[in-house]
Amino acid sequence: MHDITVVDLSRWQFALTALYHFLFVPLTLGLSFLLAAMETVYVTTGKPIYREITQFWGKLFLINFALGVATGLTMEFEFGTNWSFYSSFVGDIFGAPLAIEGLMAFFLEATFIGMMVFGWDRLKRGQHLAVTYMVALGSNLSALWILIANSFMQAPEGASFNPTTMRMELGSLTQLIFSHDAQAKFVHTSIAGYVTGAIFVAGVSAWYLLQRRHVELARRSFRMAVLFGVLATAGVITLGDALGFIGGQAQPTKLAAMEGLWKSEPAPMPFNLIAFPSQQEQLNRGQVQVPYALSLLVTHSLDGTVPGVDQLEQAAAARIRDGIPAVSALQALSAHPGDPAALAQFRSHQKDLGYGFLVQRYAADVSKATDEQIATAARDTIPQVAPIFWSFRAMVAMGLAMLAFFVLAVIYSMRNNVEHKRWFLKIAVWMIPVPFLACETGWLVAELGRQPWTVYGMLPTWMSASTHSVGYMVFSLIGFVALYTAFIIAEMYLMVRAIRKGPDEPHASGDGRLINDRSQAARVAGYAEG
Amino acid sequence: MKTFLQFVLFMVIAVVVILMAIVLGGSGAWYFAWLVGTGMIVLITAAGGALLDAQDEHAADEARARVADA
Repeated sequence: MHDITVVDLSRWQFALTALYHFLFVPLTLGLSFLLAAMETVYVTTGKPIYREITQFWGKLFLINFALGVATGLTMEFEFGTNWSFYSSFVGDIFGAPLAIEGLMAFFLEATFIGMMVFGWDRLKRGQHLAVTYMVALGSNLSALWILIANSFMQAPEGASFNPTTMRMELGSLTQLIFSHDAQAKFVHTSIAGYVTGAIFVAGVSAWYLLQRRHVELARRSFRMAVLFGVLATAGVITLGDALGFIGGQAQPTKLAAMEGLWKSEPAPMPFNLIAFPSQQEQLNRGQVQVPYALSLLVTHSLDGTVPGVDQLEQAAAARIRDGIPAVSALQALSAHPGDPAALAQFRSHQKDLGYGFLVQRYAADVSKATDEQIATAARDTIPQVAPIFWSFRAMVAMGLAMLAFFVLAVIYSMRNNVEHKRWFLKIAVWMIPVPFLACETGWLVAELGRQPWTVYGMLPTWMSASTHSVGYMVFSLIGFVALYTAFIIAEMYLMVRAIRKGPDEPHASGDGRLINDRSQAARVAGYAEG
Repeated sequence: MKTFLQFVLFMVIAVVVILMAIVLGGSGAWYFAWLVGTGMIVLITAAGGALLDAQDEHAADEARARVADA
């Protein structure tokens, strides 16, 4: 039996390392394609300032990339060190996308990034542009394989449990790669990265405009970032809806938690705009509702309904009862491999095997599990509602705020007078942390909402951890927090230093003449008064 | 020869894109949407940068014309 403190500490450790890591990832995903867009203008127009722009943002990209890789590598090892039962149980499936990521995406990315950095004077313009696109593609393909692996945990497809080997085995790589959850999750996450890259470039450019430094670089970067951002934000909201639709069907418990839905109601269902969920009492306090909205948002119909926690707990209890004979059969097969009676019993109950595992936490001999133990296990299938409910709303609110920001930014930028809107430029600088927070809250919804499972409906979290001591877990947790905090501080220091320093060379105009920022500022009507 | 090689390269790219559209369009519609959408976002972004230069040049021409009129 696992020590639940160790399981909780393992969860904390993975959550913290993943959240730290994901402070770096979205910027890499978005900035790489923004660099590609900037260099595309350089190659097509031949104006040196676009080369300077690409090189400047490329330097910031590299700082972020290096620390993103450093924080990501440890996570892959964490599966083996802290989640050894999980790795053994689903390693055949989970390992495949991770290996492909290492061999295909990571090598692609690592090879071309060197050429991107050192190839400016060695490659032709078109060749260097192709290299930059390959870096962007490699970064996003890297995310693709990780998200395919994660999607298997959210909605296991393409695999089945083998009672002979006592582990899950991959049945169809195609089904794994093309699962609806994997597709929607990748597209949503990748484009959330685009939004992050766009806000970052727009915010830093706005700071330069406020400082009246590197004005030509900043104006162009701001224009490109906000166009990139407005399209990406529209995309990420649309795809978030799609992911919610797909994820809600695969994980109804997560959906109920996101919506703070304790009781099933007839259609059309109201949407809880604000509520203070109580897990203990299974009710919401101080809720503010929007009539009909939940049915419309989740099912895209006024007739659609979403099951509440009450209904889901009943369904879970029934599945636990059905899963108990499957676990008993596995125990018999473990003692007498190939026992035909046990095998037949397992086959007829295997679809609820994971639910049978849930009650094993409370009853070592599951065949003797009491009604109370089954009810407790059924209650466990409901994740912590309050953090999921509020993380989801925070993510959506930040997404809508970013959309509003980008729409206004595009209007000002297209009018070519954003330099005069100093209040707006200040907002742009303050917007920089928003997409990072939105990404983090998005992951909180995804991962907290999957509980109590590591592989939804198949493998409970409490079974998945390694059997370390509490002392070891506390020590390694403190070590990781200290190390990753140092990484964040290093990133912030290097980024701020590079931004304060600005581009390496003074701006050059299209015909090669140097541009003085002051004279350039004066040329833009009204800027001097700003 | 150069034209022929370029022709072959672009034909290969076209065939790969068509095949990807057929395969991804059926079973991986979201992946296909990502490929097309990313390409579109990048190109619109690049066009936005070029448009800023055109706007600047237009403004400079107008300013020169005003000075000449005065």
